[in-house]
Formats: sequence, C-alpha cells, structure tokens
Amino acid sequence: MLGLIKKDFLMLKGNFKTWLILLFVYIVMAFQESMSLTFLLPFMCVVTMLSTFSYDSYNKWDAYVCSLPDGRKNSVRAKYIATLLLVFVTVLITTILTIIISYYRTNTVNLSSIGESIFGAIFATTLLQSIMYPAIYKYGVEKARITIFIVIFGTALVGGVLSKYIDFEFIIQRLVFLEKYIMIIIPVVIVVMVYISYRISEAIYKRKEY
Amino acid sequence: MENILEVKNLSKKYTEFELKNISFELPKGMIMGFIGENGAGKTTTIKSILNIIGNYKGEVKVFGLDNKNDEREIKEDIGVVLDDMFFPEILLPKDINTIMKDVYKKWDSDLYFKYLTDFNLPKDKQIKTYSKGMRKKLEIATALSHHPKLLILDEPTSGLDPIARNEVIDIFRDFIQNEECGVLLSSHITTDLEHIADYITFINNGEIILSKTKDELIEQYGIVKCTESEFKKIDNQDYIKYKKTKYECELLVENKNEFKKKYNVNTIDKISLEDLMVLMVKGEK
Amino acid sequence: MEIIISNSSGVPIYEQIKEQIKTKIVSNELKSGELLPSIRTLAKDLRCSVITTKNAYEELVRDGYVVTIPSKGFYVAEVNLDVAREEQLNKIENLLDTVVTLAKTNNIEKKTITEILDILYEEEK
Repeated sequence: MLGLIKKDFLMLKGNFKTWLILLFVYIVMAFQESMSLTFLLPFMCVVTMLSTFSYDSYNKWDAYVCSLPDGRKNSVRAKYIATLLLVFVTVLITTILTIIISYYRTNTVNLSSIGESIFGAIFATTLLQSIMYPAIYKYGVEKARITIFIVIFGTALVGGVLSKYIDFEFIIQRLVFLEKYIMIIIPVVIVVMVYISYRISEAIYKRKEY
Repeated sequence: MENILEVKNLSKKYTEFELKNISFELPKGMIMGFIGENGAGKTTTIKSILNIIGNYKGEVKVFGLDNKNDEREIKEDIGVVLDDMFFPEILLPKDINTIMKDVYKKWDSDLYFKYLTDFNLPKDKQIKTYSKGMRKKLEIATALSHHPKLLILDEPTSGLDPIARNEVIDIFRDFIQNEECGVLLSSHITTDLEHIADYITFINNGEIILSKTKDELIEQYGIVKCTESEFKKIDNQDYIKYKKTKYECELLVENKNEFKKKYNVNTIDKISLEDLMVLMVKGEK
Repeated sequence: MEIIISNSSGVPIYEQIKEQIKTKIVSNELKSGELLPSIRTLAKDLRCSVITTKNAYEELVRDGYVVTIPSKGFYVAEVNLDVAREEQLNKIENLLDTVVTLAKTNNIEKKTITEILDILYEEEK
C-alpha cells in the first residue's frame, strides 16, 4: 500500500509551485485577519487530489492497479490515507502559521478560537472528501462534480423549503448547550464521517469492473 | 507436462457480448499466441484471468493455484502489459520504480533501470512525452522487472514499428529460456506470433474455436484452391470453411496431406495464421 | 553450426533442422560426443517454436543420430557411418528409380542420362 500512497504524492509533485503561491496568499491574508482563510490549504488538498482521480481515469490506472498484487484491496485505502496525510500536514502548517502571525499582530494568542477555526476547516475539508470520493468511485470524476453540485444545491433548497415549516432557530437554541462539547463532537463526527465514506468507496470499488 | 495456466469453462455475460465456456491450457516453458478479431473476447478473457473483472463463471488456475483464493501469491509472479492501461502519464519512469519497489516483493530496481537504458527510455521525462512505441516498451520493462514467471500480455506489439516489434519479441524469447516460465500473448498481428508462439489459441465471438500447437496448424492445415465444379464434388465433411470468389474457391482443410490423397486437386497452399483467421471468421460452411 | 531455414520451401521446419543436422553428422562436421545446443537456445537462435526444435531432436534420437542424456542435453551419437551411407544410397536409388521410369516412358536413352549426370557432377565441383 505504501507504494500506492507514494504514487499519489508523486503525482502532486508538479503542483509544488501552486502550493507555494497558496501558502503566500494565506500568509498575506492572515496578516490582515488571522483566522479568515484557515480552510484554504486543507481544502486545496482535496481539490488537488481530485485532479489525481482525473489522471488515473485518463490512463485507466484503476484497471492496471487491479492486476497488481493487492492492488484492488489497497487502492481506495491509499487514496484516503494520502488525502488525510496531506490534510494533516497542511493543517499543521496552517496552525503554526496562524499562531505565529496572530501573536505577531496582537501579542496574544487565543488558542481556543484558533482551534475552533482549524477544526471548522478540517470539518469542511473532510466533508468534501467524504461526499466526493464515493461519488467519484461510483460515477467518475466528471459526473461526481455534478453530483456534489446537486448535493450542495439540493441541501440548500430543501433547507430553504423546510425552514418555512420548521423553526430552525428554536432547534439551534435547544442545541446551544452542546457548544461546550464542540471540540469533542467535531472530531468524532469527522472520524465517523470519513470512515463511513471510506467503507462505501471500498464496497463500490470491490464490485467495480474496469 | 505441467501447466502454468489453466482456464476452465470461463463464462461471462454482458448485455451485448458473451464469453462462452472458454477453456485452454498453457504448459510451462511455452508461449501461447492468443488471436482473434478486435472484440472477440481476448481482453475480457485476460481481465478475467487477472481478476480485473469479477463475476465470471468457471475456474482459472495459475501455477496450479486458484486465481481468487491465492490471488496475492499468484500476482507476485505475473507480469502484465494491458492494452491502454497503465500508470497516469504525468508520472516519470523513475517514479514507477519508487512505487513498484513497495508493490512487488521481488522488484529489481537495477534490472528496471537496465531495461530503460537498453530500450533508450529517458527516466526523467513524463510518460506523456513518450511516443507510443516508447510507452509500450516502458510497459514491458515494468512487466519484466520483478522476475515474473508468467507474462500476460495484451497486444504488447501494437503501435510498434517492425524494428521495435522484433526487439520486443526477442525479449520474450529470452524470457522463455527459463523452462519454468510461460507467456500468454494476445495479438492481432499474426506474423509476430508465427515467429514466436508455440501454441495458438483462437477466439472468435466469445468462443475458443481452436487451441493447438503452431506446428500442427502450419504443417497440417492448408488452403485448397479449386474451381467451382471441383468444389461441388468435395464432401462437406472434408473442409472446415470455404470462401468463393469470382475466379476460384478457397477451402480451409484440417489435414492437407489426407485431403491430397482423397481428392485430386492441384493447389494446396501452406497456411498463414492470417489466412486461417480470415477464413475462420469470414468463411462459410 | 550453420542451419539455414526457409519459411517458404514447403518442407516442415523441424524436418529442415533434422536433415541439416543429419547431414552434418554424416559428413563428420559434427563429431560424435559433441554437445548440441539446447532445445530452447536453438529455438531462440532459429526464431522458431520450442516444439519445432524438440520435434527435430526427438526424430534425430529416434533415428539414432543423437543421444539424450537427461538433464544434460543432446549429444551427437556414435553413428555407424556405413549404416548412414547405406541409408543415403537407398535414397539415391529411389530417386534414380524415378529418373529411369521417366526416361523410359519418354524413350530417352541411358547414354543421355549418364551424360547429364556427368555434367551435373562437374558443376557440383
């Protein structure tokens, strides 16, 4: 499996310049407003990983990998692990930079608000991954892009319609007590979400014929 | 003689195409040419052997082991070249080495780079800058670099010029010097197979219509050329297929010597695999 | 060792190999006890199937020109050259028989035939 993880990283090698630019943008933005774009780098991880799916399908890599020892078994797992590793690294960089810049700007560091912002970024990133990956394995990259669009649009629409009948304000107020536990709830949600997504992708991949 | 590959009653249904009870055996130390038209089922058969597609009926044994139960073990010793399926082309050949080191236990980096040098393939250029022939050679180098015992090659010579084809065929010939090895090679370039194959398996419309040693085919089968009036006297049982043109009738016969004894015809030609394919597919009975 | 294969002669390849090795043995170009190339090497060098070279060797073994020592290879046998010569003479007799029949049916004199033979012999030199 290590080989397959390396493969995804090697494919991203060419994006190195883009990453440097993004890093620069982030630093500039962070000097304006410390916690405005914490999601930028992690989110880009998933977006660039999506490009690896395109390259894979262009050269029918998935059929080829199935001919290699344990290829079918490890292919999906490698993709998830590669993505998570990448997210982890960028989150680490973002966190460190945010702390440093925030200290430089205000001479204080509000760890809990930085933490919330970072956790929010991780949540958004892994949510995108968890929806997109199974969709890609099922329908291919192009159709999956449309799928995610439909999912987001559909959720907004359904939410909009439902808000006429359900008092969301009321529900949220009832749930406010959870805020104390938010730093526990979000990580748990992330882990569960990614795990379920991974199992779905794996099940799709196992049955897929290339 | 032990078989390195056995396919028994392999069947697979698609909506528009069906593999029907495919069976053949490849003995150790031999090269089998797998021929047939495009769309006859060559790639589907190969993908089934490799479990790239599942849900087929029948049994496949490689090195005497079941291809599903012992998949991992088997695949360590198989080298593959698949038509049009490979590493993403933004990778570099040297990346393939980095990746494959962790995929195959017996991956041999020195051997891989030696092939790259021998084939004149730059290791630092993206695969997408390669010509079709270079890409094929890269695929072959990749397939050979973990010291496999069985090579499964789907159209390994397509897109290569005659010189490159010869080079590639020589590599397979070298490979087979080890009696423990075997090669299954699909191709529709039949002249390649005439030079290299020990066995010929012919698939048509999802069915195996013959699987024999090449020598038997080339030496026994023949093409009888005769006039229409002569043709009318020939027993239906004595030929496999026939084709009529404006000037002559062509008959594919299974044993040209016996045919000669029975009928008095002037022209019985030696057969080439190409003639065989054309008559088998396009001929009438 | 030189072996020349023709793909268009109509003679099966294994027979071409067999006959050419036989000739080399009879003419003492290949000496008894000499190791022949392995089935696989020969197939590779002649660009033919392993089955072809195997067939050729098997027939040579059967005819007594070659002996096989398991897991070692094929060696030129101790060929009784008289027997081999006898065999070749037989072949010649058969061929001449055809010539004579053909000559007689066309009323060609024996003298003419011997003249042709003389010319052919001279040319061969």
